[in-house]
Amino acid sequence: MRKIMALVAAVSLGAPQGAWAAIGCTLSNPAQDLKYLFPEMTSYKEELKEFHSLKNGKELFKNLKERLGSDLDPIYETYETPYTLYSVYKGKAKVGIVHGVNVPGKGGVIQVFLSTDPDSAAIRRFFFQRLESPAAKALREKTFRAQFEGMTLADFYKHDYYAAVEPGAQADKVGRIAPPKLDASGQPDYDASLRGIRKNLILLDLFVYGQRFEPFFEKAQKAMSAGKR
Amino acid sequence: MRYLSLAVKNLRRRVVRTALTVAGVGLAVAVAVSLGGFVLGYRAAIDRSIDMLGFQVMIMAKGCPYEAATMMLKGGSGLLYLPDDSYAKVKGDADIASITPVFVGIAQKEAGSIRDEGSEKTFTVVDGVDVPSFLSMKPWLKLKTGPGYDGGKWFGPASKDEIVLGYEIAEFEQRKVGDSFYATITPAGKPDPVRHEFKVSGVLERTGTQDDGTVFMPIDAARAAFNRPRQLTILGIKLKQFNLFTMREFESRWLKLPEVQVVSLQQVKNTLIGLVATAQTMVAAVAIIAVVVALIGVINTILMSVYERTAEIGVMKALGARRGDVFQLIWLETLMICVAGAVVGSIGAWVGASLVERAIKSLADFGVSGSIVRITPGVVGYAVLGAVILGFFAGLYPAWRASSMRPVEAIREGA
Repeated sequence: MRKIMALVAAVSLGAPQGAWAAIGCTLSNPAQDLKYLFPEMTSYKEELKEFHSLKNGKELFKNLKERLGSDLDPIYETYETPYTLYSVYKGKAKVGIVHGVNVPGKGGVIQVFLSTDPDSAAIRRFFFQRLESPAAKALREKTFRAQFEGMTLADFYKHDYYAAVEPGAQADKVGRIAPPKLDASGQPDYDASLRGIRKNLILLDLFVYGQRFEPFFEKAQKAMSAGKR
Repeated sequence: MRYLSLAVKNLRRRVVRTALTVAGVGLAVAVAVSLGGFVLGYRAAIDRSIDMLGFQVMIMAKGCPYEAATMMLKGGSGLLYLPDDSYAKVKGDADIASITPVFVGIAQKEAGSIRDEGSEKTFTVVDGVDVPSFLSMKPWLKLKTGPGYDGGKWFGPASKDEIVLGYEIAEFEQRKVGDSFYATITPAGKPDPVRHEFKVSGVLERTGTQDDGTVFMPIDAARAAFNRPRQLTILGIKLKQFNLFTMREFESRWLKLPEVQVVSLQQVKNTLIGLVATAQTMVAAVAIIAVVVALIGVINTILMSVYERTAEIGVMKALGARRGDVFQLIWLETLMICVAGAVVGSIGAWVGASLVERAIKSLADFGVSGSIVRITPGVVGYAVLGAVILGFFAGLYPAWRASSMRPVEAIREGA
């Protein structure tokens, strides 16, 4: 028996650890995870969103890059990347939306998830699924993550606006976020996490909320262009 | 041709009954084809996985693979290792064409979890390799090129922090050439794990093997990270001439090393095939039962059809039909049902192959990567042939029964 096990293991040694996930970002255990986030949940719906299946997909993808304010990874943040959207229901009422994105962290991928209000589009909860980083403990701190609750994409666009016209303004909610205590090695993952939240909110605005925050983006763009001049 | 159109007409009289009988045969054929596809696919997967290991023979510490198996299945405390000097002792053997030392370690990674209390740990396999000898065993390992991967290269032997990632782990961690990669390693004899930041020097093309999920690093750096500077996990060996005799000779020569086992990969193949043989026998039993049930179903259907047409058969015979004509007609109907079932079942098995594969894989870990169900024209051909033979025998009794009816009695009974 020992010999048999030995032989089996010899072949198994180093076998891929299960099927690696696709490049898109999905919850590991949707039913359990969503019940954890929404104890009142009675059902949920899972939808796959892809730019190429959207009307004007190419243009919307270009918009994502513009609104994110940073380059998209040419391999892992492409036009073909699928996104999974979870709608959570209590009876017939939609009580929440959950969506995750992958962003490249310093030493591995970071999966940034948001649960948002289906009506106001405000963040209800921000959390990580995968995060391997020297800053992981600090970034997973509840007090740090709670600062994002109630924010919308408008607050991120307003942050761009205030950065251009009135740096340090009291109304700049994003600017007032207190970063967790990090050493230099954790800073890139903090930055990647903020980028992940913004990317997530932009995608939600495209996929779910009918681009309702566009006026804030346009105002910020104007202010930034004026600032450059 | 006349018989054929008559048989079709007869079968179409009871469409539902005919369809259900065809479905029964189809189900039995689908099970048989899937089983055949599994046997064929699994053997091919074992061959592929073992061939892609690149070695014919491995020398490893006794018990080491058992520990590895435990670790693969549920995590564990550690692998067993060979002393470093085993390599020096074995490599001079005159029968060896090439040899490569491999150090295998298990690094911790963060598993995904959304819980506030943080994530659980998972692990990844780290192979410490000597690049020239390792690549001579696996010449098919190629570094990816293109945007994000250009400039990829294998690390040098003295490199301390460079790694090459298998295709899948690079994709899973979204790494490119030049990126960092975190892995947490607990050095042997030390209580605390250490987080390492490695630099990705290259990403491998997909191989469809265990290498896709592996992190490769220089053997000395791996041994230093795991604090096992004078240990090895495997000696992978290719012999100049590989046959049973040279293998036995080689084995007896090196079993004298303390706590060492010599394993031929042919043995691994046979053992793996043997391990699933029980499961295959059980599935074969299910397939046989399905075939027998289908056989009974076909006989029943055709007999019912014969009884319903007793008067008609009597009239046919009264009008001059010979025994052979009636026999052929009924027999043809049976054959047609079986052939139709075979076609339906084969199509069903082919379409549902991926589903069957997923179901089989969810039941057990078969220790190989890649597809384990392969439905080939040969498998389908055998299934169709089996169904024709089934029809041949299933049709005998009803056809004999029908052809033996006396015309007057048949007309009276059927009226």
